[in-house]
Amino acid sequence: MLNDDELLRYSRHLLLEDVGETGQQALKNAKVLIIGMGGLGSPASLYLAAAGVGHIVLNDFDHIEVSNLQRQISYQSDDIGEAKVEVAKRKLQQINPEIKVRSINKAMPEIQLTMELTMADLVLDCTDNMASRQLINKSCVDAKVPLIVGAAIRFEGQLMFFDHSETDSPCYHCLFPGSEEQTLNCSNSGIIGPVVGTIGTLQALEAIKYFVGLPSGIKNKLKLFDGKSLDWQTFTINKDPKCTVCGQH
Amino acid sequence: MKIHVNEQVLELAENINIEQLLVHLDKPLIGSAVAVNQDIISRSHWADTILNEGDNISLFQAIAGG
Ligand SMILES: [Zn+2]
Repeated sequence: MLNDDELLRYSRHLLLEDVGETGQQALKNAKVLIIGMGGLGSPASLYLAAAGVGHIVLNDFDHIEVSNLQRQISYQSDDIGEAKVEVAKRKLQQINPEIKVRSINKAMPEIQLTMELTMADLVLDCTDNMASRQLINKSCVDAKVPLIVGAAIRFEGQLMFFDHSETDSPCYHCLFPGSEEQTLNCSNSGIIGPVVGTIGTLQALEAIKYFVGLPSGIKNKLKLFDGKSLDWQTFTINKDPKCTVCGQH
Repeated sequence: MKIHVNEQVLELAENINIEQLLVHLDKPLIGSAVAVNQDIISRSHWADTILNEGDNISLFQAIAGG
């Protein structure tokens, strides 16, 4: 049941046929794990907290640096030196005191990630490196937890959604096998704030849709965003039967 | 044979597979993803996926930033 404050706070959701009181209650019951609290995790977590996602777990091990502030909109200049997850948690609670926010201020080893996944309905991969992305993917496949992956570099964004509760779902590794790869990241290639912000915002949108029971338009799809032309390309991700993560093994 | 690669026309003497295309274009095999007519082809199928006249090929890199 929503209390009077919540009915007022979420009134613009309640007006939507696709959300309504049932959807808002589903958001309140929802548990999301956000891994990486940089340029993707900032807008994603702000929107999910504002929307009333009832249980948000934030994970990162970084401290705020001045070079983060150009795009990581959860933080401000006097937060420099503080742990990202602690500042972000405080911010989310200020936005919405009705929700519960928990922070994990470390790089989670696989065993801890697996334990966290038993308590999560959905994971947002907002990390900035390939090794973390491969570990999160593998853990979500094994735990059958749906995963929304965002990534961005320069003027380019990538967005995908895998529902690992379905056994025939492809995975991130089918698309990008290999964690040893020299991949592009923000510190070696640069990034425009609103591009990474767009992708993080869309991760939040897909999460809200998932929790209220709306179908995702990007399930098993890869969306490529070009921040210069504002063009989107859509590709179908096929399950690789030989995938060492989600294939028969 | 004419195909499109990232919206550029490419003329090829014969039908080649995806792996041969990447070598022909001097693209890295590691970290690349390839789609043929909007369908992403898993790396394990690159050698047995022969390209045909008129195919639209998209090549892009894995990005990890966030
Ligand atoms: Zn896979």
